[in-house]
Parts: sequence; C-alpha cells; structure tokens
Amino acid sequence: MDYLYDGTFSGFLTVVATARRAGTSPMAICRVAPDQQALFSPLVRVTTEPELAAQQGDELAAILSPAGRRLIHAAFLSAAPGVELRLWHYLELARRVGPAIGSMLTHEQVQPVWELARAVGREAHRFKGFVRFRQLAGGYHYAAIAPDYRILPLIAPHFAARFADQQWLIHDERRSEAVVYDPVPQQWLIVPLEVRAPLCDTADEQLFRSLWQCYFDRLAIAERHNPRLQQQHVPRKHRRHLPEFDKR
Amino acid sequence: MTDPGSLEEKLAILAEGAKYDISCASSGSSRRNRHGIGNAASCGICHSWTADGRCVSLLKILLTNACIYDCAYCINRRSNDTRRVILTPAEVAELTIGFYRRNFIEGLFLSTGVVRNPDYTMELLIEAIRTLRETYRFNGYIHVKVVPGADLLLVERAGRYADRVSVNMELPTREGLALLAPDKSREAIVTPMRRVGALIVQTKAERKVSRTVPPFAPAGQSTQLIVGASGENDLQIVRLSAGLYDRLAMKRVYYSAFVPVNRDNRLPAPVDTPPLLREHRLYQADWLLRYYGFAPDEILDDDRPFLDLTLDPKADWALRHLELFPVEVNRAPYEILLRVPGIGVRSAERIVRARRGGHLALDSLAKLGVVMKRARYFITARGQFAADLSPDAAGLRSRLAERPTRDRWNQPSLFDDHGRGDWRSTITGEL
Repeated sequence: MDYLYDGTFSGFLTVVATARRAGTSPMAICRVAPDQQALFSPLVRVTTEPELAAQQGDELAAILSPAGRRLIHAAFLSAAPGVELRLWHYLELARRVGPAIGSMLTHEQVQPVWELARAVGREAHRFKGFVRFRQLAGGYHYAAIAPDYRILPLIAPHFAARFADQQWLIHDERRSEAVVYDPVPQQWLIVPLEVRAPLCDTADEQLFRSLWQCYFDRLAIAERHNPRLQQQHVPRKHRRHLPEFDKR
Repeated sequence: MTDPGSLEEKLAILAEGAKYDISCASSGSSRRNRHGIGNAASCGICHSWTADGRCVSLLKILLTNACIYDCAYCINRRSNDTRRVILTPAEVAELTIGFYRRNFIEGLFLSTGVVRNPDYTMELLIEAIRTLRETYRFNGYIHVKVVPGADLLLVERAGRYADRVSVNMELPTREGLALLAPDKSREAIVTPMRRVGALIVQTKAERKVSRTVPPFAPAGQSTQLIVGASGENDLQIVRLSAGLYDRLAMKRVYYSAFVPVNRDNRLPAPVDTPPLLREHRLYQADWLLRYYGFAPDEILDDDRPFLDLTLDPKADWALRHLELFPVEVNRAPYEILLRVPGIGVRSAERIVRARRGGHLALDSLAKLGVVMKRARYFITARGQFAADLSPDAAGLRSRLAERPTRDRWNQPSLFDDHGRGDWRSTITGEL
C-alpha cells in the first residue's frame, strides 16, 4: 500500500494509525503524488485527523522515551526522501523491542533515523546563532532564514524563552512560513508567510547594524587568516542573511 | 588622558584591544529569563565566525584600553603610544542590549585596562554589569575580568552579577611575572582566584539547600596563561593547570602562544610563527586532565618535561603503555575506553550505550564516531583486531604521527568542546 498525506507531523501520525489499522506495512509514504504509481500497490490518500494523530502520539509516547520522541520528530523535520517509511520501520521495531531501541545505535533500521535527527538537530542549534533580527517600524523584530531543514518548530521555544518580552517573527523563506511570537499571551505560532512589500526599519536599526559590522571586522587576527575554516562554519548560502557578511 | 571619540570609534579600538583574549566561551551557565530579556544556554551558542575562523559568541570588549601598568607583552601597556578611549558603563550596557536584541551575540565579555587603581576600575566594571542585570533585566551570559589587586568585596560583587569571572595568570611562573609584569604580583592574582574558588564552592553548597541563595559565577572561573614568553616547560604548565582545576575550582585554563606585539629586550627574540603547535598540544593535554581522567604525571614527567610535538599526548601515553592494549570494546570499562587513542568522550559514551543493545563489530565503530585510523591499533571487537600492525610494532609511532601542516593544527574543531564554542587565540591583550 502507498500512502499520500499532507506533509505535517499530524498527517504522518494519521498515516501510521491508518496503516496499523489496515494491518499491512506501507510500501511508500509520500507527501506529493508520486510520478509513477507502483504497479500492484494501491494509493491511499490520508486526510489528517487531529484526534487520531493525538491518539497515535500518546501510543508512541508510551513506547518511546522523551529523547526517542524528540528523535522521531527531528528526523521527520528533515523531510528527507523516504524518511516517513524509515520512521515507520523504526516505530515498528520500537513496538517490538521497547526502550532497548535507545541503545541499538548501529542497527540498520535505527542508525539512518538517528543520523537524520542529528543533522536536523545540528542545524537547529546552528540557527540559534544565525538568526539576525531587525527592528521594524511596526514594533516587530523580524528575521529571515533559509535553512536546509524545517527547523522552525525546533528553534521557536529557544527564542520564545530568550526574547520573551519582544514581538518577533522568524521567516523561513524557503518554505514560505514563519514562526510568530507575541509577548502578551507568550505564545508562538507557525503560519504561512510571504513578504511582498519592502520592510521598514526603525531609526537606530542602521546604527546598530554598522556598529556590529565594525565590531566584527575588527575581531579577526590577520596572522591567522583562514577563510576556508570560516566557510566551514558559516556556509556561503547562509551569509546573505547575516549583516556581518554584507558587502560594504 | 582619554580621548572622547564617537561610539563607533571607541567600539573599534576597544574590540581591537580585547580580541587577543583567548576565551569566547558562553557555556556552563543556564540562567533563566525572569521577566526580562535573555537567558543563557548551558551548551553555549556561537553566533558567527571571523575571517580567521574563530567563533564569535560574546561581545568581547575592553571598558578602556588606558592602563597604569607597563607589562612587557601587552599591547595596551602604559609606554605604548596609542590612542586611549573609555566607554561609560551605560554605553557598555546599551551596546550589549542593542546587539543582544538582534541576536548578534550570546552575551558580554567585559575586560579592561587598569585606570587610576584596581578598585576604581573594578567599580566601573561592576556598574556596567549591574546596569545590565538590574536596569535592563538582562539574563544573558556575562563574563567579567577581575582586576588583580582589587578589594575582595568588589570581587564578590562582580561574581554575583556575572556568569563567569576570570583573573588572568598571564605567566606560569613567579619569576616570569616579576620580569615581564613587574607591576603585578603573584599574590595580587592568586588571592582573588582563591576567593572566587571558595565562593563558588560555598555558594553551590548553599544553593543545594536553598534555591533563594543568589548564584555566584555559575559558569565558574577561568584564567589564561601565555606560553613561550618565559622559560617554563610543559610539565610545569600541566602541573599548574591540574592544581588550578583541583584546588581552585577552575573551570577552564586557556593557553595562549606568545606573539610579540611590543619591542622589548626582556622578551624572546621574534620568531616567524608563534608556538601554535605547542599551544595546541597543551590544549590536548588539558583535555586529558579535565575529561579523560589523566593525572599530570601520566602525561609528562621530569625525564620528559615537554610534550611531543609530532604526536597527540593520548597516543603518546598509549605507546608508553602497550601492555594495556589491545582492549576489547565490548568489555572494557568506560574509563579504559577513554584512554584509547581515537575514542573520545562522546564515542566512548556511545560504545557503552550501543553495546547494551548487542555485541559491537569492528565495522560499526566508525558509525559511533570512533576514529578508526588511530583506534584500530589499540582495540579488538568480538576478538577481532583491525590493524596490520600490532601495538608494539616499531613503525607504529611514525604511523600515528601527524604532519604538522598549518591547517592541521589550526582547526578549531580539534578544541571545539562539542560545539560549545570554546576557542582560543594567540596572544593576550590586557590584564
């Protein structure tokens, strides 16, 4: 059986619940309609059912440790091709062996999931440093990013705790969505977002930007110049969002 | 004495004066945000990397580059003819908050030259960080320097506001200090260090009983040593560091290869490159002290007082203790796994975790992060040995030796404390 779903984590959990109910292992779990359908494998379109997903989530919570749940979620956010099917097999294994799955790091069904989760976790950690806010005239602190993975759900709690008293939003330009935080209910929300009009900064935004650039330029020690090392840590693709790398 | 200058000019000069300080760590504190701005992530967060590849996590800056002292190695010494500027405590706080709100930085690292006298200077530093904590309700990371010779009550006040405090040792020996920094005494450096160490230990114990006790330097204290400006050997340095860790509750000792920034006939003659490789080996030896359970006398002894520059100190130790190898990864205790070249703290932890789930084979070790290039000579898995040379073979030392190319020992990942952002630099700028 091939399954088709909307790409959300709830949708994925709905697929897991549906497939378990059907009693067969899925051949494929896809986010968009596959170009070619498998010859003998029928396609099932799964509509996300929040209640069924929550129920499936509870069921998994009983099997997995908190670290195991974070692992599943992070690996899922990689949106790597075929990750859903890998997660399905991981979860089936977890149902069989229980918490012991946490130590089966070299198992062929565990290791790829573990590695995906680590890659997503690494990027999420890196972006705790790479987000650069600018103060907009409307009162919001705005940041644009373009990460490889869908990390907004992973970094949002960090910024919500840190900048609890300011209105901010982080815009994932590649996925046209943003996490928006408001200090009054102290809540964040992920919403679709596209910016069409140019953004208008506050009066002292440019001052702090140039102070930061001036500070950054002064820090490097000429005798240790090593652009390759710098690039290893700050890949070029991320630099257009970092004011210290602005051409000036 | 100091020149007014615009904020941007002052920032430029005072950042320049602070950049040679080694520490950029923002780890070890987990301050929560209470009704204000900011928190401290215990793992530390790097926000950018400079053109020399060093991580930027803190606004590292001097309050002033003016100084009453005349230390031979220091760029800010009194007898240097440079432009002197000073920031007000309010300006320091305003800059920090402005940068922090934009997520440019993880916090503040505030150092300084000594103006008027140590107490006066210390009071200015305290006023800056008090403003941040009390006026701005800032809960982000603050590292502040203690001025040697300052009143101990001021030292205590600083530690109540800061996450980390540091007093720079500068020179590993009393003689070196007397020669190169005649205005500073060993006592003026060690006395506040002892006080800080005692307060850290005491406050930790009190906070276990009552959470209302205010924290004192929760990220611990650190210090910095200049290596190669005076004639000490590595054994002296490693012993000194071990003593600092054991007796003064020191969190980190930073080593800084001496680079001459001044002309002074008390200093060693200028060389083409600073002793960066020696600095690198000292960091590796330091790692062995802090994370791998080594005693200083296991790393070096009186017959061989210098670290081998061609070989990392763990591999060097292993080659001197061949009777212990090879070890079986499925059985060896964690402490023994840590002593295997090519197995680090994280891979040792993973081995212990993974072998609970089943016997480990040789080919699964690399997946756990073991550097098989080095480890294969020292381990077996399910009784299998992976190398073509046994540990006692004569050619092993040269096979394990690293080629000292510039890139090789300039890699920060070698020191990077699992992405915690600790990093080092070459020379010291102040204090």
